[in-house]
Amino acid sequence: MKKNNLLKNSGVQSLIASLICIIIGLFVGYIALLIINAEGAGKAIVTLIKNFLYYPSKPAQLKYLGNTLVKTAPLLMCALSVLFANKAGLFNIGAAGQYVVGAGACLYLALALKMPWWVCLLGAIVAGALLGALSGLLKTAFNVNEVISCIMFNWISLYCVNMLLANVKESTSPYTLPLKANNASALLPDLGLGAFFTKNNYVTIAIPLAVITAVAIWVLLEKTKLGYELKATGNNKNAAKYAGMKENRNIILTMAIAGALAGMAAALLYLTGYEQWSTSQSSVPGMGFNGIAAAFLGGLNPIGAIFSSYFIQHITAGGAYVDKTMYCAQVSDFICALIIYLCGFVLFMKTAMNRSITKREEKAAAKNKEGGNA
Amino acid sequence: MLLLIQYTLIFASVLMLVALGGCFSEHSGVINIGLEGIMVMGALGGALMMRYLPEGTSAFVMIVMVVLAALIAGALYSLLLAVAAVNFNADQTIIGTAMNMLGTAAATVIVKALNTAADPNNVSSTIQYVEQKKAFYVNIGGFEFSWFVLIAAVALIASHVILYKTRFGLRLCACGEHPQAADSVGINVYKMRYAGVVISGILGGLGGIVYITSGVSEWKFENGVAGFGFLALAVMIFGQWKPLNIALAALLFGMMRALSNVYVAFDFLQNLNLPGAVYNMLPYIISLVVLIFTSKKSRAPKAEGIPYDKGSR
Amino acid sequence: MENYAVEMLHITKRFPGIIANDDITIQLRKGEIHALLGENGAGKSTLMSVLFGLYQPEEGEIHVEGKKVDIRNPNDANDLGIGMVHQHFKLVECFSVLDNIILGVEPVKGAFLDKDQARGKVEELSKRYGLQVDLDAKIEDITVGMQQRTEILKMLYRDNDILIFDEPTAVLTPQEISELMQIMHNLAAEGKSILFISHKLAEIMEVADRCSVLRKGKYIGTVETKDVTPADLSRMMVGRDVKAKVDKEDAKPTEVVLDVKGMSVASKRHKKNAVNNVSFQVRRGEIVCIAGIDGNGQTELVYGLSGLEPLSAGTISMCGKDITKLPIRKRSIMGMSHIPEDRHKHGLVLDYSLEDNIVLQRYFEPEFTSPLGFLKRKNIRAYAERLIEQFDVRSGQGPITITRAMSGGNQQKAIIAREIDKKPELLIAVQPTRGLDVGAIEYIHKQLVEQRDAGKGVLLVSLELDEVMNVSDRILVIFEGEIVGEFDPKKVTVEELGLYMAGAKREGKA
Repeated sequence: MKKNNLLKNSGVQSLIASLICIIIGLFVGYIALLIINAEGAGKAIVTLIKNFLYYPSKPAQLKYLGNTLVKTAPLLMCALSVLFANKAGLFNIGAAGQYVVGAGACLYLALALKMPWWVCLLGAIVAGALLGALSGLLKTAFNVNEVISCIMFNWISLYCVNMLLANVKESTSPYTLPLKANNASALLPDLGLGAFFTKNNYVTIAIPLAVITAVAIWVLLEKTKLGYELKATGNNKNAAKYAGMKENRNIILTMAIAGALAGMAAALLYLTGYEQWSTSQSSVPGMGFNGIAAAFLGGLNPIGAIFSSYFIQHITAGGAYVDKTMYCAQVSDFICALIIYLCGFVLFMKTAMNRSITKREEKAAAKNKEGGNA
Repeated sequence: MLLLIQYTLIFASVLMLVALGGCFSEHSGVINIGLEGIMVMGALGGALMMRYLPEGTSAFVMIVMVVLAALIAGALYSLLLAVAAVNFNADQTIIGTAMNMLGTAAATVIVKALNTAADPNNVSSTIQYVEQKKAFYVNIGGFEFSWFVLIAAVALIASHVILYKTRFGLRLCACGEHPQAADSVGINVYKMRYAGVVISGILGGLGGIVYITSGVSEWKFENGVAGFGFLALAVMIFGQWKPLNIALAALLFGMMRALSNVYVAFDFLQNLNLPGAVYNMLPYIISLVVLIFTSKKSRAPKAEGIPYDKGSR
Repeated sequence: MENYAVEMLHITKRFPGIIANDDITIQLRKGEIHALLGENGAGKSTLMSVLFGLYQPEEGEIHVEGKKVDIRNPNDANDLGIGMVHQHFKLVECFSVLDNIILGVEPVKGAFLDKDQARGKVEELSKRYGLQVDLDAKIEDITVGMQQRTEILKMLYRDNDILIFDEPTAVLTPQEISELMQIMHNLAAEGKSILFISHKLAEIMEVADRCSVLRKGKYIGTVETKDVTPADLSRMMVGRDVKAKVDKEDAKPTEVVLDVKGMSVASKRHKKNAVNNVSFQVRRGEIVCIAGIDGNGQTELVYGLSGLEPLSAGTISMCGKDITKLPIRKRSIMGMSHIPEDRHKHGLVLDYSLEDNIVLQRYFEPEFTSPLGFLKRKNIRAYAERLIEQFDVRSGQGPITITRAMSGGNQQKAIIAREIDKKPELLIAVQPTRGLDVGAIEYIHKQLVEQRDAGKGVLLVSLELDEVMNVSDRILVIFEGEIVGEFDPKKVTVEELGLYMAGAKREGKA
């Protein structure tokens, strides 16, 4: 009975389901690689999984672990954005667009208005929150499905931000001006963290900040009145209304918080100077969509998301090291997409697990007693 | 002006084909967010066929083979959604989102692999089809008429007839409205939903190949289809899930999209001096505005998005 | 050997954790009306689903016309001439009546539907059995009675000879019920064999030739209705004597708790008001019952009172204060408790634990939430444990049980505990006994009477005439959104009430 209880625990089930998704995802990815080129497939998969361990020296490994972490922070924030909305019954496919406006806001504040980092960070948060709130408002006031409105906003944001940031781009390239040369005060402080990762200047407070946010979101959802209300609205909005909760306010608030998280995600990446925005990009950056993957792979739990985000970023970064004469870096995108697809089956896996537990218990119970009342 | 009509027709055809696809899927009760990915896969199928058909293939054979390749690729890819949504009660929104990401990633991986295999220095994700593309267009006094427009028109009429005049259509709609009722009169809901999703795959795949051959003569698969699958969803909602209304909505949206290609040809538009991005945004902004006005009285199929489980009644 | 249309022999059907049918045998003679009687959850619907091919039994055989058959799906059942009118109609709302009738057996000419041929056949059937329907009307626009006739025509269109009616009277007016009884007699006279599922004794006594009784998944017996009394059937169904009357003293109403004046609520389904110019009062120490057929504005009336929907006209005051424009939360704090009609839709967050549902109306109080907005889990647990104990709410793991895993009766008990312990001034209970077994029903009735005796105002909305007559101190009949009569349950007959409920009679004043 005790042993079964562990399997019955929903958290344990989520973990098992996620591991199954990862294993199947990697396996199918491996088969795809085999088809493309049978010789290097095994090596390529190992390369993906090794990521920074590809480098033989310890300092180099640390440095590139740092790089992976730099990109994990925004991914984690996007995952938090998606899962937070999901708890309130909303599918925030708009994390991508909220991320875009966050990037636009922080880079414009930094490069055009020469603001210090914390203003840029706040600006990104506010921009994301406003866009999120707008989707929430459209849902409550006009019954526009948030999935559709978010998708439209993703594209609108992209074109708007491209236009906005065209004002602060390098004259010879589509990329925005580098932060370091133009406004070093907008770079996130690193508090000595970079030194630990072999002088990796991109490692900043972004990483601890993202982890702290994850914990804060967990506390908010599990321990507070607001979390209780939001989850009630997500599970059964009629019951929430019946209990006098302000359903519409909660939907808008949820989307605003989710948007703020996604907007902050962008600031945590672009304010490190790790990447410059390309004003000629014609598709919405994948960070927000990968956030969906990380959120579901993490079992929709903020703490789980920390690990799933890292994992996804780990193999994505690993994609850069595969043998380019055989495969392209997108094999890791391919594997990530496979994993999200498999995450759609998590509910089925959990049901299957519960069913097998119930069956086993019933058999045991049938032996012991004549069966309880229903 | 002629150019505007030409582009309007071709973009409207794309949107109509894909929106009709979405319409079949949703009438069967499955929300298909993955149309974008299906389009990419259809486009990939068609583009590969164009590339590997021997030179000198007659225009007719070219059209038939490319169309077949696109719709088969779309149909096969849509099975990913059908299996997940029908057999495994998966969340249709996640699956659709995953399919969009997977479509672009898989197409990129495949095209890059092929390009690299042909020429180790070629790491691009582009397929070229300058010559082959000519088969799809007829030049009538400066107006390039695309055979795809005709195909789209046929698809429109066929969709209307199938949905409203045939046994299959009646049963399909019953599954999207009230699957328990359909089941109780012996209709196999699972089968019908498979049919709805696969038809959406066929039409979506077709839409994909029409899209990538619409303007340019090569396609970079890393770019996917630039949100056209999502625009088609908006067209479908604006058209209230009815084929004829969808056709009108597609024409409107098609024109908006065409403007972004040809606005330079209009003096008064050029005088406005708006950046090109504004025209790129226009279809999405219009979609949102339209949705704001139509969503209150939306007549979506009642059971869409809800997995059908025989056990629960 | 007797000539049976259908025999279900030793049927056993198990679900995870429950045996829904345990060795049940039912034999339906040709041309008879055979009732299947049992409480909610006795296994009637499961048994019929087995016959209809929706479920496969683990054990047992089905014989049709003396031959053993294997029914794998509704098509098989249909091929054997078995048809069913489900309790919740299986009609596609946006389809026409005709489309619904032919769905699944559509005649075609070439590739296209041949609706003309279908129309001819349906019209002929409709005349022959006196089943009036408008073939081109959409289901969503027609009355429940006409929807039911559509369901019957569906069976006849398929030339079914064995007809199953699953709780067909629950949604009908007394007058529509007698029409239905007539139709059933007509069908039996034409040689159709009918299985009639019900838990209402009077109807069974009136229409059925024989009656088989199920209790908790087990077969109790089959009797000729002419040989037994309703009390005998009741004893077979429940397993003990049932008190026909609820124990209560006469009401001693005092001051007014709820005062409704000229209240109207707009309808979501049609242009007219769902509730139209309704005025009434509820006083402390009385149970006022709103009686009526389902869909006559009861739901909207309660939505208006509780604040779930805005009023389009009129005022509501509670304990002397105008609450017309107050939000739901304020009304609740002022002393309105609401046991909702649909416990799954409104009453519970099914994926929340039992304790979280128990504090659903009070979680924001200082007792359960700190000033910083953190939940006081310890207090919530203690409070939930007290209520669970006091109201005898049973569940697998106590306060942390996920509510979805609880039985319907215990879910309802949890809601009642929550709403009563709020110490309300006014308790609104909407169909509080729906879908529950006799034991739970008696318990809930007792609670309502206790609240009344404690000096609360109780407003009960019920569709069950037995409940209306037994529990209430005053009856208001609602018809098409208007109060058409006020009665003292001791001075009015069920028949009289039925006429008002069907709109055949109304009092001059409203």
